[in-house]
Amino acid sequence: MALEFQYSTKNPLYPVTYISFYAMHTRIEMVAVGQQECAGRELAQQLEAEVKAMERRFNRFDSRSPLAVLNTRAATQEVEVDDELFLALELCEAFRRGTAGYFDVATDTSVKGQVSYMLNPDKHTVRYTSSGVALDMGGFAKGFALERVRKMVTDAGVESAVINFGNSSVAAIGHHPYGEWWPVGVEHTRVSGVMAREVHLCDSAMSVSGRTTRGEYHIVNPRTGGTVAGEELILVEGRSALVAEVLSTALYAAPRAERTEIMKQYDGYRVTELYCREGGLTESREL
Amino acid sequence: MNRKEFLSDCGRMGFAGAVLSLFPWLESCSEKAKQEVSGEKARIGIIGTGSRGMFHINHLLQMPQVEVVALCDNYRPHLEDAVQYYPQAKQYDDYRRLLEDKNVQGVIIATPLYLHGRMTMDALRACKRVFCEKSMAFTLDEALEVYNLRKELGGVLFIGQQRLFDPKYIKAMQMIHEGVIGDVVGVRNYWYRNNDWRREVPSPELERHINWRLYSDYSRGLMTELACHQLQNGSWAMGMLPEKVMGSGSLIHWNKVDKRDVYDCVTAIFTYPNGVNMTFESIISNKHFGMGEQILGSKGTIDLVTGMHYTDESAPKGSGMHQLVEQIENGVMSNSVFAGTSWAAETSALAPGMPIMANVKVVTGESSVGAEADGSKELLEAFIHAVITGKQPEKVLEESYYATQFALLADKAMHEGAILTLDEKYRVPYEPLKTK
Repeated sequence: MALEFQYSTKNPLYPVTYISFYAMHTRIEMVAVGQQECAGRELAQQLEAEVKAMERRFNRFDSRSPLAVLNTRAATQEVEVDDELFLALELCEAFRRGTAGYFDVATDTSVKGQVSYMLNPDKHTVRYTSSGVALDMGGFAKGFALERVRKMVTDAGVESAVINFGNSSVAAIGHHPYGEWWPVGVEHTRVSGVMAREVHLCDSAMSVSGRTTRGEYHIVNPRTGGTVAGEELILVEGRSALVAEVLSTALYAAPRAERTEIMKQYDGYRVTELYCREGGLTESREL
Repeated sequence: MNRKEFLSDCGRMGFAGAVLSLFPWLESCSEKAKQEVSGEKARIGIIGTGSRGMFHINHLLQMPQVEVVALCDNYRPHLEDAVQYYPQAKQYDDYRRLLEDKNVQGVIIATPLYLHGRMTMDALRACKRVFCEKSMAFTLDEALEVYNLRKELGGVLFIGQQRLFDPKYIKAMQMIHEGVIGDVVGVRNYWYRNNDWRREVPSPELERHINWRLYSDYSRGLMTELACHQLQNGSWAMGMLPEKVMGSGSLIHWNKVDKRDVYDCVTAIFTYPNGVNMTFESIISNKHFGMGEQILGSKGTIDLVTGMHYTDESAPKGSGMHQLVEQIENGVMSNSVFAGTSWAAETSALAPGMPIMANVKVVTGESSVGAEADGSKELLEAFIHAVITGKQPEKVLEESYYATQFALLADKAMHEGAILTLDEKYRVPYEPLKTK
């Protein structure tokens, strides 16, 4: 689907740009305030190109991607990878350890919850620990890409914007021109259009994990290999879009009793369990 | 809502001008029409002061341009119910005596169905301006007779099809004619209740008098009492009349508790010349789905009862983020609900839909007397206007006439177990409503 670009000067004080495109199996949107039209259009094209390039790099089903090469060869030999993939794998391993194994990019591992790959920082090489290992970066790439987009937008001089990756991950730059934050309503899972929670974002990000809008359970518990069937939504707010994304996924997979323990390692992140009830009611619990 | 508010509502919705050209019977709701009758009063007689008659009285009491001068009912307790509101009105127990009353300009007939045709024709002959509850008549022949007599005498005749005056139906029809939902590919109507449809009877000999709806000597049951309201939806939306009708009706539940002989469970299919079907289903021993009227189009659906528009476009438009854009454009900040778990394609079943206008008033259809804000008051006001001016609005009678004829034809199809077409002799001039 083509890049959508809209530019409005209806409010002469705050010209507003809207962009939208599809990548990483989702819709990516941005509303930015105060840009020139030409600059906005150029930025939109750069963002789309960057996210799509990242999608290709992290797509394990694309045989030409560095990740696919890794999956094919790293079980039998050390494989040298580029800086970006190496950094991503370092982060993934840090998150795996930092979430008691509830965030893990390794699939099909024979020993669940264990180290799946070894990194050699001197040579920038990767070696899998067993032949059954394959890495799937899908759960990581979206947050990683959102961080990248936020940086590109900030570097372009935009001081007020909100970026939405498929509704489940949102990052804000600055604040709404008529408020001290960007107001984002988390939609109730049982009643469309009804807000289960209001989030105020200002130079911060949020991520929501749970069943899909179609009611499907799609998050896998890496420690068991089974699908997680929690009824709650996990909402994480904090500085980094990537950390929020990783934490919401990991905490949804983790048993409730372990969630608080995991969060002791993260300062400045707020976690809320949302239980959407019949009739549009919501119960919530802060961790 | 009074007439001024009604058109003002239409104006706010941006369709007042178009409304008047498309739905000519609403002309009486305009400010100009109101000026035309300013200071004048309509002298009204009410024939039938049972539950529906009292429902109308409740509206009439809010209309300063109305003077109720005569009341008639052959059941004394009902008459007394009305007299307490209009103690000065003359009282009758025979409608023919009321029709002789020269002081009465217009009559409102709210009696059992089998009396509608006869009373309407007697009133027209007595030079009264007439509002009669739906359905228009008890048989196909009688409906034609009423129609022709009105044409011959040139009087005023309104039938109680209040959806023709309900703003959300008018707005919906305009959207449909403009192609908002694409080609109309289906029309679904249903009306479910779970009650015995009975009124309390003080003594057994009054059973048929009071519970006339349940007996085929006086009523055609669910088709004339409920379907008649909904059957106009298809013709109204598509601008054509059904070509053939089939149906099935049964007594499945309430005959276990009384001796009624009209169906308590009916399904009818009306096929239009373009092949599109309109369905009507009613069961009165289960109310889960309530009342529904849906126009199905190739691009979306309009639910007439809830006043909602649902698009068939599978991909959401990112409406939450677009709302943010609109907020900034308009210099405001408010919440924008869009975050949640991952977006999944093909979510049409979960599509929230959009109201077709602000402040949609939804009627459940549970009441067997009537509901507020369903167009009844506006319809009555339009009739009162016509009583004063003597002008019959265009097209409104034809809409009502065909609603009655197709309700009766479907009932006939059920009884005969046949697929029927409306005989040519029952065809009267019908100009479809279409946006120019």
